[in-house]
Amino acid sequence: MTESPQIESRLRETASGLLREKKVSLFLGYEKATLPFRTAPLFLTAADEAERLVWNPFCSANLAVYLPRLFKAPADAREAKAAPAPPTVGVVLKGCDARSVVALLQERQVPREKLLLVGVACPGMVDRRKAERALGEHACLGAGEDARGNVRAVVDDGTEVTLRREQIVADACLECRAPTPALHDLLLGTPVAGKQADAARRRVAELESKPLDARWARFQELAARCIRCNACRQACPMCAGCKTCLLDQTRPRWIGAGTDASDVALYHLLRAFHLAGRCTGCGACARACPMGLDVRLLSRKMSQEVEDLYGFRPGEAADATPVLSAFSLDDSQDFVTEP
Amino acid sequence: MTEKKIPQASLDKLLARLQERGTVYAPGRGASGDVALLEMPQGEPVLQDYGNFALSPKAFFLPQTQTLLRFRDGKAEEPSPPDRPVFLVGVRPCDAAALLALDKVFLDGDPRDPYYEHFRAKATIIALACTQPMASCFCTSVGGGPGDGAGADVLAVGLDTGLLLRAQTTRGEELLASLADLLAEPTAQDSQEADERIRAAEGQLAPARADDSARRLREAYDAPLWAAAGQKCLGCGTCSFLCPTCHCFDITDEVRNGAGRRVRTWDCCAYPLFTLHASGHNPRPTPKERWRQRLMHKFRYAVENHGRFFCVGCGRCIRNCPVSLDLRTALKEIS
Amino acid sequence: MSVRNPYLPYPTRIEAVAIENGARDIKTFRLAFEDPAHAAEFRHLPGQFAELSLPGVGEAPFGIASSPTEAGYILFSVKRTGLFTGELHSLEPGAPIGVRGPMGKPFPWERMEGRNLLIIGGGFAFTTLRAAVKYVLDPANRPRFGSVLVIYGARTPDELMYKDELAAWQARDDLQVHLTVDVADKPWAHHVGVVTKVLDGLKPSSENTLAIACGPPIMIRFTLLSLANLGFSDDAVILSLEMRMKCGIGKCGRCNIGSKYVCRDGPVFTRDELKALPAEY
Repeated sequence: MTESPQIESRLRETASGLLREKKVSLFLGYEKATLPFRTAPLFLTAADEAERLVWNPFCSANLAVYLPRLFKAPADAREAKAAPAPPTVGVVLKGCDARSVVALLQERQVPREKLLLVGVACPGMVDRRKAERALGEHACLGAGEDARGNVRAVVDDGTEVTLRREQIVADACLECRAPTPALHDLLLGTPVAGKQADAARRRVAELESKPLDARWARFQELAARCIRCNACRQACPMCAGCKTCLLDQTRPRWIGAGTDASDVALYHLLRAFHLAGRCTGCGACARACPMGLDVRLLSRKMSQEVEDLYGFRPGEAADATPVLSAFSLDDSQDFVTEP
Repeated sequence: MTEKKIPQASLDKLLARLQERGTVYAPGRGASGDVALLEMPQGEPVLQDYGNFALSPKAFFLPQTQTLLRFRDGKAEEPSPPDRPVFLVGVRPCDAAALLALDKVFLDGDPRDPYYEHFRAKATIIALACTQPMASCFCTSVGGGPGDGAGADVLAVGLDTGLLLRAQTTRGEELLASLADLLAEPTAQDSQEADERIRAAEGQLAPARADDSARRLREAYDAPLWAAAGQKCLGCGTCSFLCPTCHCFDITDEVRNGAGRRVRTWDCCAYPLFTLHASGHNPRPTPKERWRQRLMHKFRYAVENHGRFFCVGCGRCIRNCPVSLDLRTALKEIS
Repeated sequence: MSVRNPYLPYPTRIEAVAIENGARDIKTFRLAFEDPAHAAEFRHLPGQFAELSLPGVGEAPFGIASSPTEAGYILFSVKRTGLFTGELHSLEPGAPIGVRGPMGKPFPWERMEGRNLLIIGGGFAFTTLRAAVKYVLDPANRPRFGSVLVIYGARTPDELMYKDELAAWQARDDLQVHLTVDVADKPWAHHVGVVTKVLDGLKPSSENTLAIACGPPIMIRFTLLSLANLGFSDDAVILSLEMRMKCGIGKCGRCNIGSKYVCRDGPVFTRDELKALPAEY
């Protein structure tokens, strides 16, 4: 049985209460979008507009991406002095989003005392591309959730099609180990168990079992169609924390802006390395990619390496030291070779 | 203008004939499953039933990555672009019309852009009229239509029995004349069938409020909606990269030991660094100004400078925006 | 004859490098075209700019500091601020450099015909004003213009550019030159105070006069107030803007203010043209 209607009305109550009582000055949630299978982020500041908030299988965006920007002091010293005090922000978080917030807290990118975390246990969110493909020839006129949590779509010939949720949820959801936010100030919805711990590992293992040229071909599927729009980076809550991205620097210019094979490969490799120990597997990158690429190809493996080498999974303990900032005398040293 | 008909069974022959004359790109499903303009021969049947390609055909005229100059021993040389004629088959009317917008910038503006001019001269556009617009389409609100041939050389309209081919330009006329043995004279019913399909498609399009946009945008310059919508924008670049009329680009040098190139790559006004000065000053410092710039450019500045929208209603930005920003909403709200 | 590719720089050679200021971060480069045919093609008017090009480094736009009446070379004064200017500053005479241009709209010379000219410059922005003054002073041109009053200010005496020429201009009687500094940290015979202080003190008449002002934003702000007080209407005040640029020819979309591209519709704008544009610069 879906809990969406109850969660939705609790969210509206919560948001309007928090805003009215001035416990937050901004509430981030989701509202209806103009196309089916999607929602839009909602920046709520007025208590009486809380009715705009929705909760449904299409609340896929990771709202944590907005948090670093809200708390970033202006670079200009004069502007910084004149800038208003940072807001207190209430934010709706699924399991993956909450992991992003934890990772941001680990890096001191956002102040915990300025956040009010409204966690929602998440049964998995719809990947709009999977849904659209499942409808095949038909255009969708509108989509909603049925009592079982499946998606009911009205298509162009007027008929209704039911799409089973498990078949159209995002890949990241299929690998999600913590759909219920561990860090929260308020938790809505019945806790949802995580997927098997090795769901992501099996995908990595499946690829690693292939010969080198097959693996290269898989990488080429990503690299050959990447248009270097940077949507993956811009949608990533961890990338949002960096003031200047390495890949934008001009002195020196580390990487070209075009689609030459070496630049594309370098972009994705560098991003994967820069997110090592920081990527929480939320899938915002893959969702943002306009070409529908498997942007998490490398970061899936990277997360596994970090876990295997250091026993560290980002996004779990808010007070943990980020893995690449921590040094322990019994860190594995197998990779160190004699000169 | 000439109207001819080609039976379904002869389509393969037509495509084969074009392949003798140049490189042909036709709609097919790539490895990803998305529909795209693929170089022929594809090994798969050419599609006629699809919405639109993920990437617009502007990439053929303004490539994502384009060498402007080659450097050798510090001296600059112009590259030699490929000389083969190109046929783009199955381009949707919105994307064909977009070329007319790009022409305003690259051909009409003094000086002409020789790189764009070269590809434009080499390409023949055979557009395919739409019979099933998508919910995100709004071509009729910006001066276009599902059966509008502006920007194409030939407009094809699907019939039960084949395609009706309507020449739009002299080049289109010449093309049809050169394929005369494959083509037949259409009947009055054929023309009628085509027009009816187009009319039906037009009827399916929900309107967007682009009317009088230049004046309304001028008056709404300081409206609160720019911050309200803009704050959601991630600056991800998806809209500009997929947009068939967006043309902003960056120029960078890639040289080692005196040899290399100067290259232009797609850029996006929504990127935070787009207008950043060396001094650190940024005329468009937040997403609010950048979202406003996008709308202003497409629906006001372009109208003031070129007399047309720089938007053809293809809907790619709406379908692909990861935070569901919809410029139709902004156009409605500025009134 | 095919039209030249607008992205292809003219090859030129650095003939001379002059250090302009005490901080040694402003240099004037004298460039000569390798091909005389290119020199003939490069017909510019003061107010225009060009893109200097270094392979492997990139390009950057600079106002042309020389007048078309100065035959055989073009001048650019460049302040070292970043990647490109840093590389440029490391070059010696004899080094090759590419030039694309001339670009942009010059000062409105047809309108300036028969008028008195009030030329106000601050700091490093005096480059295209030098070109304008040299152009006006050329014997073939001087009779076409009325009186010429130049006010040029910098932070300290060392920071004034073109010192030798300024001295020569001060000795002439067909123009008036008033130099001023914020701080006179060495023996100094001229004004002390900001440019607008001198302007307010001189009270030049606005009758049949066009004012051209180039300088840092704060100087411009106060200069516009002073000019308004002196009775200059908005269309009699001419400014030159700076924006981040790439192509310089109105195609890459980067330098727009409203519907105008600074590279193609500017960089010279009158105050009333600017007032009609959004304040996004």
